[in-house]
Parts: sequence; C-alpha cells; structure tokens
Amino acid sequence: MWDGIITGLTTAVMPFNLMMVVVGCFAGTFIGMLPGLGPISAVALMIPVTYGLDPASGIILMAGVYYGAVFGGSTSSILINAPGCASTVVTAFDGYPLAQKNQAGKALALAAYSSFTGGTIGALVLLFAAPALASVSLSFQSGDYFALMLLGLTAVAAFSGKGQVIKALLMTVFGLMIATVGTDVTSGATRFTFGSVDLIDGVSFLLLAMATFALTEVVMTVMRGQHKEEEPDMDMASLGSMKLSREEIKEVAPTIGRSSIFGFIVGVLPGAGATIASFLAYGMERNLASAREKLKFGKGSLRGLAAPESANNAASTGSFVPLLTLGIPGSGTTAIMLGALIAYGIQPGPRLFMDNPDVFWSVIISMYFGNLVLLILNLPLIPYISRLLAIPRPILIPLILFFSITGVYLVSFNTFDIQMMVLITLIAIFLKLLQFPMAPMLLGFILGGIMENNLGRALTVTDGSFSFLWERPLTLVITSIAVLVLVLPLLSALLGKVRSRGAAVAVNEGEG
Amino acid sequence: MTISKDHIGGLVFLCLSVAYGYYAGDIALLPGDEFAPFNAQSLPNALALLGGILSIALIVTADRSSEGRIQLAGYDFWLVARLLVLVSLLGVALPWLGFLVSTVLFLIGGYWLLGVRRVKTLLLASVPFAVVLWFLLSQLLDIYLAPGRLFTGLMGG
Repeated sequence: MWDGIITGLTTAVMPFNLMMVVVGCFAGTFIGMLPGLGPISAVALMIPVTYGLDPASGIILMAGVYYGAVFGGSTSSILINAPGCASTVVTAFDGYPLAQKNQAGKALALAAYSSFTGGTIGALVLLFAAPALASVSLSFQSGDYFALMLLGLTAVAAFSGKGQVIKALLMTVFGLMIATVGTDVTSGATRFTFGSVDLIDGVSFLLLAMATFALTEVVMTVMRGQHKEEEPDMDMASLGSMKLSREEIKEVAPTIGRSSIFGFIVGVLPGAGATIASFLAYGMERNLASAREKLKFGKGSLRGLAAPESANNAASTGSFVPLLTLGIPGSGTTAIMLGALIAYGIQPGPRLFMDNPDVFWSVIISMYFGNLVLLILNLPLIPYISRLLAIPRPILIPLILFFSITGVYLVSFNTFDIQMMVLITLIAIFLKLLQFPMAPMLLGFILGGIMENNLGRALTVTDGSFSFLWERPLTLVITSIAVLVLVLPLLSALLGKVRSRGAAVAVNEGEG
Repeated sequence: MTISKDHIGGLVFLCLSVAYGYYAGDIALLPGDEFAPFNAQSLPNALALLGGILSIALIVTADRSSEGRIQLAGYDFWLVARLLVLVSLLGVALPWLGFLVSTVLFLIGGYWLLGVRRVKTLLLASVPFAVVLWFLLSQLLDIYLAPGRLFTGLMGG
C-alpha cells in the first residue's frame, strides 16, 4: 500500500497535476455557483477538456471540479439562497439566515472548514478502505460482475426518491437500450443503426452526457425564464468577519466529526450520494440537539450549517469508493467520471489499483489537495469569484451552450453529433417535464456494454443457465442485496398506493 | 379520468419498448447463433420485455391526483425552440462557414434571442471570444479547423 501511496503522491504533486487541482476547484466553484448547474453539469462540461490530458491528470481535474462545484453550490446557497445543486439545498436552511444577520463571512468560513474536515476525513478513510475492498473484489468472476452491475443499477433506482422507483428503473432500461445501439462487440452485428453510418459506433458517451446534463440544464433555465432574473446583488462589504470564536469551534467540532463519518458511509452506498447524506446528517443533528438548540435550526444554527456541509463533502469522497474499487458509480457525477475512465481505455474496478496504480492513488491523494485548495485559495477569493456571477445571464447562457456543443464537436468533427445532441436534448426536456430522473439513464448507458459482456460470458460458461447468480456464495450475497434493494422500495410504494386508495374508498363509503 | 405525467410517461415507454422489441428481431445473427445461450438479440429482447413490464407497472400505479397532471404553464417553449434551431443551424453552418464565422454568428444569435439588443455588446461578446478560441485551438493546440467550404470554394483551395 505504501508503494501505492508514494506513487500517488509523486503523480499528484507533479506541477501540472497540482495546477489541474487548482484549475478544477476554481472552475467547479464558478459553475457550481450558477443556479441550475450542479456538479454533474460541471463535470460533464469538463470531459472534452480532459480528453487531451493523460488519465491521471484528467481524473484529478474532474475530481477538483466536483468538490469545487459542491463548494460553489454552498456559496450561492448561503449568499443568495439559490442552491447551485441538490446537495447544498440543506446548506441554505441555516446558511442564508446567517447571511441575513450579516454573518455571511462566518457562514462561508464554517462551510469551508466543515467541507474541508468532511473531505479530509473522507479521503483518509478512502485511503484505507479502497485498497481493502479492491483486494477482496479481485476474486470476482463474470457472474459476480454482472450481479454487481445489477446492484449498482437497482441501487440508483431505489435511492431515487419516493414514487420515483419505477420511473428510475424505466430510465435505467432506457439507458441500457441506448447502449445497445451500434455494433455488437461479440458478433459484429449492427443493432438499431437503421442503415446510418453515423450510428455504427453507437451513441457517444460524451454526447449523451453533454446533451442530458449540460445542454438540457441550460435550456431548462431558459425555459423557466431564469435568464431574465436580475443578477444577484451581493454586497461583499457586508460579508462580516470570517473568524469563528473558540466557543463556536467547540460547539461545531463534534457535529463535523460525526457528520463526516456518517456522510462518508452514506456516500459509499451505490446510488445514495451527497444529497441524501446532507439531508440525513441535518436530520440527525437536529434530533441530537437539545430542545433549546432545536429551536435555532432553520434560523441560523451553526450546527445546522456544519452538519450538511461536512456530510456532503465526505459523501462526495465516499462515492469514489465503489467507483474506484468495484467500477460502480455512487452518484451521477461519478457515473460521468466512470464513462470518462472507460473512454481513456481504463477499466475501473478491482484491477484498477494494480493495473493503473498512478490513477488510483493520485486521485485519492489529490482529493486531499483539492480540499486544501478550497480552504486556502477559494475561501479568501469568494468575494472575487462571486463577481463572475455578475456576468449577465443572456451573455453567459449562449457561451455555456456553445461550450457544450463544441466540446462534443471538437472530439468527433462530425456535425451529425450536433443534430443528435439537439434530438437528445428535446427528449431529455420532455422526460424532465414528466419528472423522469436522468442519472439512472446515464448509468444504464455506461454500464450497459460491460454488463452485456459479463452476462454473455457467464451464460456461455453455464450453458444458458442463470444458476451462476446463486451458485457462488459471493454472487448469491450480491444478488440478494440487489433484489432486496429493488423489491423493498417497490413494495413500500405499492403498499402506500393500496393503503391510500383503501383510505379513499373508506372515506367515499363513509360519505355515501 | 385524469391523464397524469405517469400515464403519459408509461405510454411513451410502452410504445418505445414495443418498437424496440420489434426492431430487435431485425438484428442479424451469425449462422448457428440462434442456438447459442447468448447472442446479439438476447439483451435487446430482455430489455424490451423489461421495459414493457415496467411501463405497464407505471401506468397501473400512476398518480391520479391533480398534482400528477403535467404543468406546462410558465414555460417559454417558443424561446427554447428557437434556441435549439440555432444550435441545429450551427451544425449546418460549421462545414460551410468554418469555425470562426459560425461561432460569431451563433453567439450573436444566442445573445439576440435572449434579449441583448445593443450592437456593441453583441459584437464585443462574440468576436473577441471567437477569435481567441480559434487562435487557441488552431494555433496553440494545433487542431485543424476546416476554413469552410464556402470560402475554399470562393477563394480556391
């Protein structure tokens, strides 16, 4: 392990990679601050830039953008009560009231310290947990991989929220369907190309990610009329002091510690991610607080701000555990990174830390650097970075649109891709209006190819029998968890519907 | 009966699954592959079936309350349509006008659609940006950006 850490350290401290961390954190903070654009869009916008870099630098840049975007989201939550992404919605609960009390500086500093501690604790746990898990998963066979992919896909659907399970599953199937377009790698047969030469290689991951997360998100802000909103008037002079008193530090230290560990654990669960972690940590902290403390929650409680901030950063780090060790993304953002790694020709999973130790370890080490950059550089520069928000939206939006389109075009130099992006954006807008989640579709698309290969291999070995799913204890455990994760929310959703209908019938009969 | 978002979504996915399953039958198999435990049609067939089952499940369990209805008020579809046409036009213009001119025209069009009317702003926010980006890509990063068929046709070569 120590050899690996030293390899990672040498790669991460290379001046170019350090620059990537800094650039990533800044770019992420800026994009994360823009309402409507969260970490997924920020990382998606970075993919074309990383194509020209070597894999380690590319992933380091994306990881930097990821934390930067989460941090940027917190900043706009605190300053203007407009969370940049879902994982920082909770930050606004207590962060914005603090800003209204002219304590924005303190709130921003606390958010940064909490994020730093959360991220650092997360990175340290990752340092030990990831290799341990990876060494266990080295014994995996095709069947286990298939079961694992199944678990990843069902978990994302299961964590997608109340009443959304079937929709998320449908979107996963839709993603898997898109992944089958193109040439079948095993037989060489073309599938669903309808005679088009442009579809023989299938739909590009970059195109799908950019169209569904960058282009669609920007177009949706225009559709909602958000481009007409006045630029937020942030009086940087009234930020107040950024210092925390000793009593305040004593008050929040235990909160930050527990929320970090809790956030990391939630982040490790495939599909859970930073949003769920921040909500749960806030709820947990509120429950642990004394009756008098509880009253402060929602009105500018320091504990209420520290809990979600530490949890969402620790969860962001935690979501790298399943990505790096099992090849299963823990969140939408890590799903995009998985796609980028595959595009580099790197197969994330158990063999990553043996085959590409530089990528594996440098990502972990650079996460720590990323947190340091956010604390040392970004925090003091927040008043200046937020000035970028003053660029009028009618100017900013076409520029972001342009970057998303040319990002795809400059990789393929095929204008068919631009027309394809328009088509996918139209479909994505329609599905978003019907409240279908997008992340499961992308995950299904990314995992589709690997899943089909492993399923094909396992079925060929067992001569068409699905017994591989329960013959080995390891596969049986993974399959059982996947089934439980899938069945429990479906059952509870169905039971809920039946109960509410039963209640409605009873009321109607009572009225009759 | 209220037609909700879930009903519409379920029906759309049901149609998609049926069409997908229909075209899955068109996938050419290698001789003897039809007897193999897993071939190029296996996953598409399974996905079509799964998609069908889930779509029906969505329709059956659909939220019938008024909250489940699709809300289209307050959305500016006309502006979005024009923006997407502009994106599509960029795709058409790139091979004919080249990167530089297409970028300038796209950005001016985008700013204009979003309400910018001052000619000075339109030009200052597009021309320097496009020139700097073109210079970065073609001169510094050495990426070949075709000058556009219109110009090569007019000026030769």
